Amino acid sequence: MVFDVFFLQQVINGLSIGCVYALMAIGFTLIFGVLNVVNFAHGEVYTIGAFVGLMVITAMAPPLLAVVPLVLAVGAVSGVGLERIAFRPFRRFTDEASQKSRAMREATLLSSLAVSIMTREIMMHIFGGDMQGIPSGYLLQQPVAIGPIMVASGSLVIFATSAVMLGALQFLLYRTQTGLGIRAVSNNQLGARYVGINTDRTIVTTFAVGSMLGATAGILVGLYDGAISPHMGFAPGVKAFVAMVMGGLSSIPGAVACALLLGVSESIATEFLSSGWKDLITYSLLVITLVFFPQGLFGHGRERA
Amino acid sequence: MDVNVPDARLMPATLAPPAAFSGRGRRFAWTLLLLAVAFGAVPAAIVGTGSSYLAQIAITTMIFVILSASLNHVTGTAGLLSIGHAAFYGIGAYAAALLSTKLGLPFIVTLPAAGLIAALFGFLVALPTMRLVSIYFAVATLGIGEMIYVVLLNWVDVTRGPMGIRGIPPIELFGWQADTLLTRYLAVAVIAVACVWVLHRLTHSYYGNALRALREDDQCADSMGINVERLKIESFVVATFFAGIAGALLAHTSAYIAPDNFRFMESILILAMVVVGGLGSLPGAVVGALFMIVLPEALRDIGDYRMIAVGATMFLSILLLPKGMLAEGTALGFVRRSFSRGWATIAGGTPVGWK
Repeated sequence: MVFDVFFLQQVINGLSIGCVYALMAIGFTLIFGVLNVVNFAHGEVYTIGAFVGLMVITAMAPPLLAVVPLVLAVGAVSGVGLERIAFRPFRRFTDEASQKSRAMREATLLSSLAVSIMTREIMMHIFGGDMQGIPSGYLLQQPVAIGPIMVASGSLVIFATSAVMLGALQFLLYRTQTGLGIRAVSNNQLGARYVGINTDRTIVTTFAVGSMLGATAGILVGLYDGAISPHMGFAPGVKAFVAMVMGGLSSIPGAVACALLLGVSESIATEFLSSGWKDLITYSLLVITLVFFPQGLFGHGRERA
Repeated sequence: MDVNVPDARLMPATLAPPAAFSGRGRRFAWTLLLLAVAFGAVPAAIVGTGSSYLAQIAITTMIFVILSASLNHVTGTAGLLSIGHAAFYGIGAYAAALLSTKLGLPFIVTLPAAGLIAALFGFLVALPTMRLVSIYFAVATLGIGEMIYVVLLNWVDVTRGPMGIRGIPPIELFGWQADTLLTRYLAVAVIAVACVWVLHRLTHSYYGNALRALREDDQCADSMGINVERLKIESFVVATFFAGIAGALLAHTSAYIAPDNFRFMESILILAMVVVGGLGSLPGAVVGALFMIVLPEALRDIGDYRMIAVGATMFLSILLLPKGMLAEGTALGFVRRSFSRGWATIAGGTPVGWK
């Protein structure tokens, strides 16, 4: 039963990649929920998380558990900064014509893209365009045996971290006042404002939370793969975006489920196809989903945009 | 509206100013000026400086003018946000390259063939995706664009994969070869002007108004008797046709193409041109293409900081002019005053249009 063991290992690898996509897709979903705009700079937050983690590790060599809160803090700060630079200025137009205008919506989308180009180029300038290695003491690549299956310790760390963060997110969204605010703004921004919710503050909070998840995903992948580069954010960003759309844009469980599905199908596809073709699987899944379920797999009759 | 030149539509026919001062004289002057720049000043500069670098920028600009004008047709005028446009550009380029290197077909066949093949792919893509709305459509085009890129990169037997295709013959018409920089530029410029002219006639016609109705509210347009599905598919097919033409021009002028020319970032660059210029405005698309191509080249002196400056400029121009440099309203007024008789009235007071 050699095949079965190998197959299971591939599934587990896929699930850990899927968890990373899921962490990013949640950030996308939260931000899309409150603003109705796609945040194209999310992949850069992921890269920033990875680079800050590396900088801290090389500078101070702290224990691994101390890196995570630091990356969380950096993620929150970069999320708030991103919102202030790329999104806040476009909310100054509050009249109805501007809010419905297609030009305005596309302008916001492109401003996040412009900020992401700038961030990436600045990082290239500081760190150079090449891959950077992670010090070997921090690599999460030790094999761990679970019965007959060998799993990299990084997979387990990724599972554990994602589970903790998902739990915390559920707690935040459904048990706290802040979460109530986020859900209210996501449901109906104007209505939320009428009942006295500070929408600006809620949006900033959402950016902070979403970017914390994204930055953590970045450092986890850095430690798992062992190398990081300023361009690393692009591919997972697009995959997470795909997962969000497949899940139905505003559904967090949907985004998580689809991210895991993408991760697993990618890692199984590398077994049958060469790795160059594996992206084809992701995108065909996306197109097939959209054609047969135009609202995504878990979307429910959202109002026509 | 310009205060000094009264709008002909608002006055009785007898009071309308003579043609020389209103629409037609200005139209003539503007057209003449633009053509003089495209076919006089730029070639003169290329010959005068003898710089192949300058000529290369001029050719790239003309190719991107076609691309952004065609994306403007589908995204600006018909309101379908497409972020996979570069893939159809790539299909056109590969079609022209393969037809001319493998089958030895002349340019006069490969150019329309590239356009038609890209349009065929556009049609096949449009059929299933047209019932998606807003962001779902955008993401579907992203997915399809990346799929086409993956195929171009990995189908090594046909496309030679990451090595790209070399030795594509230059533009050649009935024995006349565009093998110098100047002739190459002129050939591309003539085709670009023709493409923009066709798109201009299409957008500023009754048909173009139907596309705008579609953009503003497709359900409403449907209830007014416009065949929404068909119009959407048609606009997408037209846009992909011109993207294919642009791809063929790239293949024949640069003699070398590789899949990396047709990635997601290239689609975004084209979209940025359209948005910076002004969504829905054809002059805006042309100006946006000029701006986004010439700016990075002009900034080459500051070297490493160039792309940062491009990002910053893009960000600032979106921030300060969220509706674009030549917003559609402005552009339409400009077109009405200068280029088109579609909105003018003749002596009897009946509107002249394409109805």
